[in-house]
Amino acid sequence: MPSHGDDVPEQLGEYRRIAVFGGVYNNWLALEATLADARRRDVEAVFCLGDMGGFGPHPDRVFPRLREGGVLAIQGNYDESLASGRTDCGCGYTDPRDNHYAAISYRYTFDRTSAENKSWLGALPRHRRVKLGPHRVLMCHGSPRVINEFLWESATPDGLLRHLMDRAEADVVLCTHTGIKWCRALPDGRHAVNVGVIGRPENDGHPNVWYTLLTAGPELHVEFVPVAYDHGALAAEMEREELPAEFAETIRTGWWTTCLENLPARERARGKY
Amino acid sequence: MTVSGLPVIKSERRVPTAPFLGLSTLWIQITGTWCNLECRHCINASGPRAPWLRPLDAVTARRALAEAEAAGVKEIYFTGGEPVLHREFLPLLERALAVAPTTVLTNGTLIGAEEADALAALAGRAPYSLEIRVSLDDTDRVLNDRVRGEGAWAKAVEAVRLMRARGLLPIVTATEITRDLHGPGPGMYERFHEFLREQGVDRPRVKIMPVFALGRQPASGEPPLTEEDLEGFDRSVLQCADARVVTASGVYACPILAGLPGARLSTGGLAESFTAAALYHSACVTCRRTGMTCRNS
Repeated sequence: MPSHGDDVPEQLGEYRRIAVFGGVYNNWLALEATLADARRRDVEAVFCLGDMGGFGPHPDRVFPRLREGGVLAIQGNYDESLASGRTDCGCGYTDPRDNHYAAISYRYTFDRTSAENKSWLGALPRHRRVKLGPHRVLMCHGSPRVINEFLWESATPDGLLRHLMDRAEADVVLCTHTGIKWCRALPDGRHAVNVGVIGRPENDGHPNVWYTLLTAGPELHVEFVPVAYDHGALAAEMEREELPAEFAETIRTGWWTTCLENLPARERARGKY
Repeated sequence: MTVSGLPVIKSERRVPTAPFLGLSTLWIQITGTWCNLECRHCINASGPRAPWLRPLDAVTARRALAEAEAAGVKEIYFTGGEPVLHREFLPLLERALAVAPTTVLTNGTLIGAEEADALAALAGRAPYSLEIRVSLDDTDRVLNDRVRGEGAWAKAVEAVRLMRARGLLPIVTATEITRDLHGPGPGMYERFHEFLREQGVDRPRVKIMPVFALGRQPASGEPPLTEEDLEGFDRSVLQCADARVVTASGVYACPILAGLPGARLSTGGLAESFTAAALYHSACVTCRRTGMTCRNS
């Protein structure tokens, strides 16, 4: 587990409208579709909260698309592991079945990510700060304090969010890592948003993925955007790469088949498995 | 004193510590060591006779919950003893669930249809997830009941079925105490999954824990950790780095050692316990070696 230490987030520009996504998981087809969709919505910048690899096929295909798309990325646990040559993804699973599939996915991605791209991942910042109108936004992968902390909707109390935001001196915290989006407005007007992931569907029986649009105003406006893409083509590529059949099933059906054991009861109950 | 003619130099050994990084996990030892069972591997020797650690009064429990909320707690666990025995179990659980996701560690033997209904209703209206962990040490009735007492297996399995039938997803928690009694075949984890499916429990959830050499288990005789043992080891992964346990006799560093004087960090409020924890016990060796956590994941 990475340290609880805080690094100093860099200060970036001020925006009115941004697109933010997490967890590309090698899904280069969803990445193309997401970037095209965001461009149509007149965003000033596109951010990625990390975890470029894992799960899907052909890891090196996402990097040129991220660079050419001008995506401003931060490092996820997967990126940190790949860049530092670790033997595991650092996802933070504790269950044997979760770890079994995570190991297959990580080994596949590690062996097929070029040294140049690993080095690029290693140079990404751990956090970013931006101003969105009057709102001070902190972007992180898992949580502001730990890169692989899971912030599930049903397992993230308001008291914890207040604590994290106080320490981060932020009005808005954006995170990913769990794979399921959510948004919570605290009574004091601050917001926590898990922006979801574009690498795999979110266990709701629909194959689309999600990203998040944030628009400044006196009030922060948060919109989750569904993205359809050629998921059948991706699943076929995964099969050709001999990735586990369970992974391709998730891409086709929208139901998670693996890495389920760390879901809290409420999120687990909503899925099929 | 000399051995083989050489002088023995008695030195003061410095006990290593784990830093305190902030309160992430609050354990409430709600019934102390009061339990309806008397399992032979119980880490704190709980049982039905006069408990050596008395149940927690509701006022102290509520105060701890408020303090934990202010400190930004992420998750709460109710343990004992058997938490269901507490006279204010459900109201306190409801209060905890208003603060953070909460897990109940139960032996399941006191959860019938009525209790399962109440837990399912609570889970439905709570803002955060309710998790129920049911202890079962073996899929085999005889082997389980040799450890946990006659009749424990049937009641625990029935509790799991009743809760699953009401939409809950209990986590069956087993220690490795009978692991070596099984011949070749699937490992413990797979065996429990298969068993639960056979019982009609779809989506089985299983957590395996090591056996700790304390409570009713004989001491291991293993020497405690030294600074040298911990060289290069990230102490922030130890659960005492971000967990505290509130009991009727004070606040302790971890649920394994709750009630033991060497692990007590405060006799007053929770905040007073937010300090480094001494890794003085042989159980700390198990945590260091296995990387285990008493949390759900």
